[in-house]
Amino acid sequence: MTAAAPVFQDSSRPAFIEFAADRREPDAIARLRRAAFDRFETLGLPTRQQEAWRLTDLSALKAMTFQRPADALIDAGALPTLGLPAHRLAFVNGRFAPGLSHLREMPDRALIASLDQALLAYPQWIEPYLDRLPGLAQHPFTALNTAFWEDGAFVHLSRGTVVETPIHLIFHAAGGDSTVYPRLLLVLDEGAQATVVVEYQGTGRYLNAPVTEARLGDGAALHYHQIQQESPQAFHLGGIRLQQGRNSEANLHLLSVGGQLARTDLEALLDGEGASCTLNGLTLARDQQFSDVHVRVDHAQPHGSSQQRFKSVLDGKARTVFDGMIHVRPHAQKTDARQVSRNLLLSRQAQAHSNPRLEILADDVKCGHGSTTGFLDPDAEFYLRARGIPAAQARAILVHAFANDSLNSIRLTPLRERLARLLAADLALDIMEGE
Amino acid sequence: MRAYIVASRRESSIMLEIRNLHATVDGREILNGIDLIVRPGEVHAIMGPNGSGKSTLANVIAGREGYLVTEGAIHFDGKNLLDMAPETRACEGLFLAFQYPVEIPGVANLYFLKAAVNAVRKYRGEPPVDAMDFWDLVHERMELVKMDESMLKRSVNEGFSGGEKKRNEVFQMAVLQPRFAVLDETDSGLDIDALKVVADGVNALRSPERGFLVITHYQRLLDYIVPDHVHVLFNGRIVRSGGKELALELEEQGYALYNEEPGRARRAAA
Repeated sequence: MTAAAPVFQDSSRPAFIEFAADRREPDAIARLRRAAFDRFETLGLPTRQQEAWRLTDLSALKAMTFQRPADALIDAGALPTLGLPAHRLAFVNGRFAPGLSHLREMPDRALIASLDQALLAYPQWIEPYLDRLPGLAQHPFTALNTAFWEDGAFVHLSRGTVVETPIHLIFHAAGGDSTVYPRLLLVLDEGAQATVVVEYQGTGRYLNAPVTEARLGDGAALHYHQIQQESPQAFHLGGIRLQQGRNSEANLHLLSVGGQLARTDLEALLDGEGASCTLNGLTLARDQQFSDVHVRVDHAQPHGSSQQRFKSVLDGKARTVFDGMIHVRPHAQKTDARQVSRNLLLSRQAQAHSNPRLEILADDVKCGHGSTTGFLDPDAEFYLRARGIPAAQARAILVHAFANDSLNSIRLTPLRERLARLLAADLALDIMEGE
Repeated sequence: MRAYIVASRRESSIMLEIRNLHATVDGREILNGIDLIVRPGEVHAIMGPNGSGKSTLANVIAGREGYLVTEGAIHFDGKNLLDMAPETRACEGLFLAFQYPVEIPGVANLYFLKAAVNAVRKYRGEPPVDAMDFWDLVHERMELVKMDESMLKRSVNEGFSGGEKKRNEVFQMAVLQPRFAVLDETDSGLDIDALKVVADGVNALRSPERGFLVITHYQRLLDYIVPDHVHVLFNGRIVRSGGKELALELEEQGYALYNEEPGRARRAAA
């Protein structure tokens, strides 16, 4: 084995051995961690010589000296609320915070819990699912997460179980040059339905490398929202793995606002006939921010459909990357796969990279992709100004219109409104007036 | 002394004054010395063939980027219009009904209108419009142009038919109640029914305090919006002015007469 060159201090082999020794957990899980750590050592931190990381400059991250996070207390007021009754699990520095959490009455056949606690009580429910999904095999941060996760959320809905109440998972990092590795495991058996809202936030400087694994049985439906509002100094390197059974439905909303460097790698495997997957992404980046989304949608079975709609708004010297792959296997006839990437540049110094990719191995499919990058439409700006609206407000209205479109399909009204306000605040625009 | 008083009274009744206006687009001279005076309550029609500079005149008045005034002046209520940003011109009471209204996806018509009304109010030092008052005004004005309520919730001009777009322009004008409106080929692309609706809307807004500049290629619109003065624009200059009968004359003779003019035609071809 060739040991990778630069590795964070807290992620060295001695650190891992010490960490693993403290965990009291089933052998199967311990083996997973060891295998993952081996994998991480082999992979090392990505370099720009690797195609998938060509545009992601990790030099600032590599220069860091991270440590395991200390326990931290935070005020409940620092955490967002959904504005709706919700099953709420809060985590501070990657550790469950029961005092900030609140679970409501739930159906018998549903388990919503801290992953660590669930592992103690019901290891047999977790072992078969944790780190079993394909995808992200070459993603070193997913390997790091599997080696080092301390806690996260476990949602298991048995066959036909519908949880109407949204599941709100909040991960707060308290900085101090620490690393946090939240792990989310969502298992929806046949016909189960859930709505999940994941929020990442924090203060100060830290690395957050979360991993979400979602397995949808036949006919299951998942509405998943991920709101990345890390602190401006933070590094966010996340992975999402999704596997879908027959006629299952996944709707994902990915909003990325924070962090000095943020990247999410998402792999969706449509592994049952007629599965449908909608991915809605919105990235706002400004100043020196770098924000990156890598998506791979893998159509393995016939009659599947997928929609990728990714937008970004860039200001200052920000850079964004959208790399989206549609892969259709030979057997996956009648696949309908779409991908749209749209970037709005507010500054001449901002850079948006769009890299749509298609690998179509079946012959009877509908696949399409489109990508646009441009500045605000000067005709539209003039039209608004010709009606008396000042130039700055006119531009804000147009940016908001571009971005808000991504939020319109969020069904949780208070969440949609909060995010619309967040957008508006970002644009210094009073958008609620007049609506 | 007496002469001075008379002169100043006359000055004060001038709403829009264009003097020796020259303008270029991409370095090409389009307006070649336009002189025009509009007083409150007057409707002036500007007619002319394609390429005569009609739309350039409209865009220069509204302050669109890309139109460079090289000589001359425009005053609005005695203020130098050319020094003002487009939004300031609008707040001062100027309105341009666009020849090609812009589609703005994601911005609801009603929201857009309210933002515009409040921008003008803010400029005047007034508080934002009361929600109920605004709603009443919008409804009243919608009837004026026979607009369906559903158009309020739709994005500005998005997916509107040609007629709907032009009606929306007149509707915005009716809500914003400018003191001076420029209608840039508002008749283009309209069938006769839509034309009547648009003309009725404009006529309802005619008042002794309000001036209009109606720009059109065809006489047809002027059957419904009867002007006080008609000007013929050709090669960037007003070559003839007269009463409403001038429009009828043009209808019979076309613009051929002006195309024949020696010198100008050569310049146009250059």
